[in-house]
Amino acid sequence: MVRAASKNELLPGTLEMLILQTLTRGDMHGYGIAQHIQEITDDVLQVEEGSLYPALQRLLLKGWVKGEWGTSDNNRRARYYTLTAAGRKQLGIEAENFNRLIEAIARVMQTA
Amino acid sequence: MPQFDQFLRRIIFLFSRKRMERELAEEMRFHAQLKAEKNLDKGMDSAEAHYAVRRQLGNVTLQQEESRRIWGFPRLESVIQDLRYGARGLRNSPGFTFVALLTLALGIGATTAIFSIVYAVVLRPLPYKDSRRIVNISTVSSMFPEFTLGQSIPNLNDIKARAKSLETIATYQRTSLVLTGTGEPEQISVAAVSPNFLDVFGVHPMLGRAFLPGDEQQKNGNLVLLGYRLWQKRFGSDPQIVGKRINLDQKPYTVVGVLPQTVSSFYLRGYGKADAIVPLVVPPDQAKNRTGWMYLAIAKLRSGVSLARAQAELNAIAGALAHEYPKDASQIKFPVETIQDATVGGDKRELMILLAAVGFLLLIACANVSNLVLSRGLQRQREIAVRAALGASRTRVARQLLLESLLLAVTGGAAGLGLAVWGIQAFHALAPIDFPRLDELRLEPHIAFFAFMISVLAAVIFGLAPAISASRSDLTSTMKENSATVSTRQPLLRSALVVTEVALALVLLTGSALMVQSMVRTLRVDPGLRTDHMVTAEVTLSATRYPSEDAQLLFTQKLFDGLRAQPQLTGVALSNNSILEHSTALMSFDPATLGSTDKEVNLEARSVSPGFFSAMGVPLIHGREFSDQDRKGSPDVVIINQSMAQRFFPQQDAVGRSIKFSAQDKNFNQIIGVVADTRDIQLNAEPRPEIYFPILQASFGQVRIMVRSSLDAAAVSDLLRNSLRSVDKDEPLREVRTMTEVIASSVADHRFRTWLLSTFAAAGLVLTLIGIYGVISYSVAQRTHEMGIRIALGARSGKMLLMVLGHALRLAALGAAIGLAGAFLLMRVLANQLYEIKPSDPVTLVGAAVAMLLVSTGASYLPARRATRVDPMVALRCE
Repeated sequence: MVRAASKNELLPGTLEMLILQTLTRGDMHGYGIAQHIQEITDDVLQVEEGSLYPALQRLLLKGWVKGEWGTSDNNRRARYYTLTAAGRKQLGIEAENFNRLIEAIARVMQTA
Repeated sequence: MPQFDQFLRRIIFLFSRKRMERELAEEMRFHAQLKAEKNLDKGMDSAEAHYAVRRQLGNVTLQQEESRRIWGFPRLESVIQDLRYGARGLRNSPGFTFVALLTLALGIGATTAIFSIVYAVVLRPLPYKDSRRIVNISTVSSMFPEFTLGQSIPNLNDIKARAKSLETIATYQRTSLVLTGTGEPEQISVAAVSPNFLDVFGVHPMLGRAFLPGDEQQKNGNLVLLGYRLWQKRFGSDPQIVGKRINLDQKPYTVVGVLPQTVSSFYLRGYGKADAIVPLVVPPDQAKNRTGWMYLAIAKLRSGVSLARAQAELNAIAGALAHEYPKDASQIKFPVETIQDATVGGDKRELMILLAAVGFLLLIACANVSNLVLSRGLQRQREIAVRAALGASRTRVARQLLLESLLLAVTGGAAGLGLAVWGIQAFHALAPIDFPRLDELRLEPHIAFFAFMISVLAAVIFGLAPAISASRSDLTSTMKENSATVSTRQPLLRSALVVTEVALALVLLTGSALMVQSMVRTLRVDPGLRTDHMVTAEVTLSATRYPSEDAQLLFTQKLFDGLRAQPQLTGVALSNNSILEHSTALMSFDPATLGSTDKEVNLEARSVSPGFFSAMGVPLIHGREFSDQDRKGSPDVVIINQSMAQRFFPQQDAVGRSIKFSAQDKNFNQIIGVVADTRDIQLNAEPRPEIYFPILQASFGQVRIMVRSSLDAAAVSDLLRNSLRSVDKDEPLREVRTMTEVIASSVADHRFRTWLLSTFAAAGLVLTLIGIYGVISYSVAQRTHEMGIRIALGARSGKMLLMVLGHALRLAALGAAIGLAGAFLLMRVLANQLYEIKPSDPVTLVGAAVAMLLVSTGASYLPARRATRVDPMVALRCE
């Protein structure tokens, strides 16, 4: 689960989408992914390790990302995740669904 | 196929599990380091930085487990977990597990073994095309009312011409011929057959051709079709055998073909196996003799014709023939019987009874298992409630119970199959050698599967019962509960079960006890002749090589002289018939010739050599034995046994009297001696009037040798072979055995039945033991609370023990009473198999009943003890 700064919880599957989106910027290791999401949302979304790694395992299992061991900036071994073609396609689907959902929610909010 | 890719990745993970976990751990460690470094950057000190990280990361193991679950097969893993838990549960109650496994193994094992045997012997069709349409047609004539005869050639031809329900009718005769030329001379069993014989069986030779009409006319010399076994054993499976010549009874026979392996034995009336077949030659006099009932008829019914219709038609033909030939065919009948029934014969009913008994055994085993599982479930109700309270879903609890039952059933089933295989092997080893179709016996997989499934079903259904009741009851009351809420409804079904089991086991026990006693009495009987240190063997003189009686008598004399000349043989006796092998020769005798008004009787008749009685240790009561002078040409003499002397010459001296056998008989035989009665035919048959002829006076073509020696059996048989060889090197010595072996095999049949019945009785007894144990345990478990209160109120433990035992004994006594009545009624079927003991032998019946009650007491003792050990505090605290 991604712990939002507020008590609100994210919709299920959102974390996976966020990881996929993050990986469009290039290969990253787990810590990097968590940091990126946290920074870009101004600490609103803090990724818990207990959710991050299971999510990454799920993505690996589904074949949407690939993990490969490489060397980090300061010469340490780290697993870098890469978006696969299937992952990119999946991201497209999920982003579209997400946008539609957000739009729908927004419409409700505007009319009410 | 993304699903398939996922599955593949899961499989890969399964095999590289260790590496994946190591990598994940390393990755998370790296993560933690980076995080700690960031904290340091924020100005925390080192310890605080690491502590903060650990706090944020939380339960690392749980996270790893979470990741693992994503990759693994969670459902499968939880099944394995349940199985492991179930196995542990079973291990923790070894008593229950052992008893349940034993029950399952006995039930499945016995059922599978017996069903397999019955199937192989009775139900599986014989290995011929349309085997259910193949029938024997025999003759019953008023001339020999107690025998089933073959057909005479004229009758056979009339049947062939008139019967419309028969597709083919063939005839055959049994002969035996001596095969010489390759190795030791060997007596082989041969069927002499009409040309259409193989058509009846739908068999075609594997090599060469079948017989053709005209083959019997000997224009081309003698022909033979070899059986597969003989071809393999004596001719090394020679593929070029067709056209070669072999020697049978010193005459050349041309091999025209080899029969296929599938019909290596024909199930023919009168004997089991034919090693070879030759064309049947009917002598001209027999072709016209309407009372020459020596030709066995085998026919194939037309398709769609029932046995009853064929029988009706043959009855009509028999009636017509009786009318046409009032002298030769008076009151004639032609019974029709399928060869399947004929093969199994009298054993069929016995096997069916066995089948019923074993089916019952299986039901009881299932009931026992259900009972055991149920009472265990009852004891575990609280455990189940606790698990449910801790959050186990109902399906999970049910699944766990189901898996546990399955585990039990599968293990018990495996043990049962092992037992079945062993049982079939034992049957093979113990069954009398002439038991039909023994070579086709094997474990029937579908029967094993059936028995297995029944038991599994029983275990599973009753194993689930506690889960169902747990899901119905509300948790708190079950957890608080104990037996305060005990149901007062009597477990009527369980009690009925125990009563039935006791009754059945008692019947089996009585039967087995009767058989054992009869066996012991048979073996203890004094046959009236000495059989110690004796070896016996047989020579059958073939009519082709010894066509005249003189030649046969000369052979007998030479053989006898040769044997007597051996100093190592302390006793030599020859006879025309075996001793103690149930083989008998009868001779009709009309007492009217002595002026008596008695009806015609059959005497046992036997030809014996000089010195026969002294060698066999039979006391000579009066007169003399046969001597070398009692030979062909000298006056006809006979010796009679005491029974005969007392019956026909009461209070007179028989010695010196002359008798003839019928009014038409011109020849008188002088009685020269009276000997004591012997049981020379079979041990458990009362001696009957018997008459002895000198073997050197008239030959029957068969010589049975009995010799006594202190040498071992192998040395004696070498000696016999050498003696025979010096008289005739081409005549085989058959059936060389010690008299001890003969006696053992003469009771083999009886021993086999005894063994079978005793096994059943033992199985029944064990199952009853288990059944009683299960029921009493259950009732004690249910009444724990009540017992606690009784003890708290001061009940003595002795009284408690008696209370529980009394409950068990009441059931057992009822069962025993029913069982006794049943045994009294059912044991009559054993009557003709029992020797010197009545089926209603009171000592046996009462003894078996007492044994049954003792067993019941023993079975209920353990649970009764448990009842007295109930700690009142524990029992009451559960309130």
